[in-house]
Amino acid sequence: MSELRPGETGVIVSIEALTTRHGHHGRRGWGFRRRLEDMGLTPGTRVMIVKSAPFHGPIEVYVRGSRLAIGRGMADRVLVSVED
Amino acid sequence: MGKSVIFNHLTGLHQHIGNWPGKTVERAEGTLHFKGYTIDVVDLPGIYSLSAFSLEELISREYIAVENPDLVINVVDASVLERNLFFTLQLMELETPVVVALNLMDMAKKKGIEIDHEKLSEILGVPVVPTVATSRVGIYELMQTSVDVIKKGVGKPAKIEYGEEVETRIRKLSEVVDKLQVPYPSRWVAIKLLEGDEEIEGKIRRLDPKIVSAAGKFAKEIERIHGHSCSTVMTSERYDIAGRIAREVQRIVPPTKLPARERLHALTTHKVLGYPIMGLVILSVLFGIFSFGDYTSQLLGGFFECCYSVYEGLFGTGVWAALVWGGVIEGLIAGVSIALPYLVPFYLALYFLEDSGYLSRIAFLMDNFMHKIGLHGKAFIPVMLGFGCNVPACLGCRIMETERERFLATFVVTLVPCAATSVIILGLVGAYVGLEWALLLYVVDLVIVFALGRVAFRMLPGESTGLIMEMHDYEMPHLRTVGKQTWFRVREFVMMAFPLIVLGSFVIKVIDVLGLLGPIADVLSPVTVVWLGLPAITGITLIFGVLRKELTLLTLLALFEAEFGTTGFANVPGFGPVQMIVFTLVAMLYIPCVATIAALVKEQGWRRALFITVFEIGFAILIGGIAYRILLLTGM
Repeated sequence: MSELRPGETGVIVSIEALTTRHGHHGRRGWGFRRRLEDMGLTPGTRVMIVKSAPFHGPIEVYVRGSRLAIGRGMADRVLVSVED
Repeated sequence: MGKSVIFNHLTGLHQHIGNWPGKTVERAEGTLHFKGYTIDVVDLPGIYSLSAFSLEELISREYIAVENPDLVINVVDASVLERNLFFTLQLMELETPVVVALNLMDMAKKKGIEIDHEKLSEILGVPVVPTVATSRVGIYELMQTSVDVIKKGVGKPAKIEYGEEVETRIRKLSEVVDKLQVPYPSRWVAIKLLEGDEEIEGKIRRLDPKIVSAAGKFAKEIERIHGHSCSTVMTSERYDIAGRIAREVQRIVPPTKLPARERLHALTTHKVLGYPIMGLVILSVLFGIFSFGDYTSQLLGGFFECCYSVYEGLFGTGVWAALVWGGVIEGLIAGVSIALPYLVPFYLALYFLEDSGYLSRIAFLMDNFMHKIGLHGKAFIPVMLGFGCNVPACLGCRIMETERERFLATFVVTLVPCAATSVIILGLVGAYVGLEWALLLYVVDLVIVFALGRVAFRMLPGESTGLIMEMHDYEMPHLRTVGKQTWFRVREFVMMAFPLIVLGSFVIKVIDVLGLLGPIADVLSPVTVVWLGLPAITGITLIFGVLRKELTLLTLLALFEAEFGTTGFANVPGFGPVQMIVFTLVAMLYIPCVATIAALVKEQGWRRALFITVFEIGFAILIGGIAYRILLLTGM
């Protein structure tokens, strides 16, 4: 999702696993996915990138009628397919 | 949004602020007197979901399920209906009586959103009251509806139906859960088990582990059907229902002109202009807080000096009189001159910025920077405040979401040099060694903050959470609510911290009166003299610094004067530039002052407060000794 340019829209395909520090995909690593989903970023949802903060900062996305700020590290793990 | 405004309308001045038992989450409670009813109103944390992700979410669902309130008022942001209905649906799953306060109707209208609240009520099967909390619209109706619901009960709320393959498995699970003794509704437990909610799994496993493994099997089956994990499927479906309902009840005609608040948002998050604007806002807030604080604490100081002359006239200067004044009254003075002048403007500014929505923009701009020490954007605000005073900064750390982040942020904040520390840095090193050395000390402190923050971030268990936050539309804060939020929190701090501050100053005064300061300085001399290379009497001043950090400097001045007849710090035997730098370094890093410790105890509990305090004393001594040796090597 973080690779989309401002103004572009995409549809969420999936959310990638978070590799924990110990190198395995423990269930704890999924906490962040639950949180993204609870905030409405579920597969099939349309998102529009509004802007991204400088210095590799968070991105502002428009999703489900509201405006979210999402840290870059998290946004990197949200896979989207670009819409024309 | 608007939850605290509605809570304040309901409870007026009958409020009590505290923490949830054993938690660092604030709990506000109040009483509503309405038509002969006395209703206890509890302000639950503002959350988006009822999963077990954050403490707030856990606390809320435990409260609703276990305490079984007569009614839950769900404050919904009408301008972001879909996201808010997602939460309403989860409340309904908990099978608790719900009244929806459809708030910010004015904001929705400005965004061109029209909502048919009667239709919404019909679909959900729960009462819906449209409100504009800031101008008190709909508050009376909300009270009336709530009382009606408590008195007569409501019809059954609509059931949220998942897809057939999910529903059959929920049914099977809830049949077996039904036989267990749990405080939660069976259907809800079944849903949470399918979602893999660790907290509920743990509770059910203790009663019947077979149910948990069956749920795990079901979840795998659903995952195979959909190609996504079961919890993803269920969250998706819930959001789909929320979206469907939202589309059914609202009509959107987007305004043709970009509203002013949209332009303000674009400006304040702009990749270039956003930063100078933020700098200006923060500087003016800090300037406002400290010029007000400085002015009032000087006024108070003068007032207390007058009090002392009167006191001396009345009670003389005997041991007991000195003990009462120095131990008890001076403790109170220290408390008053910190709590009132700095905390009041701090809370006013904090709630104003938070309620207006600007705080989330600051977090957006500073997120990347704070990530370097394992925190995210929101932590920037307490850290900034720490430069003024650590006390409000510690209290401000509760804006972080998880327990881990709160602790980490608090720890970092107590290392930031506060205004009193700056007095020492500038007044001693800046004035007698050189301004470049004073600046170097600031740099050293920031490097230490950064390094320790990183170390703590790596050592603390748990994953670091990234930033996910809603950026609400800008809104003019409701000033009465801001005022009340400030008043109740200052009152709570006074009640909590004052006894501790008084106790601290009493203990030190008793030590002083008993003539134990000298012996204690001797006991400390292996550390102060041998390891740090400082004069022995600095041990005494560092003890006084626990009360207020600038006292380290003032008592040192007085002690030197008594011993050597010097004024100022120039030409004091055995206290050259090296000693000045080492002394300042230690004073900067060691124990937070007693008011900060009180704030730490209040926010983090005794154990963590003690841990931070002891750690910082040890760390200050370590760094001080190393610096002493390095400075000697440079031949200063």
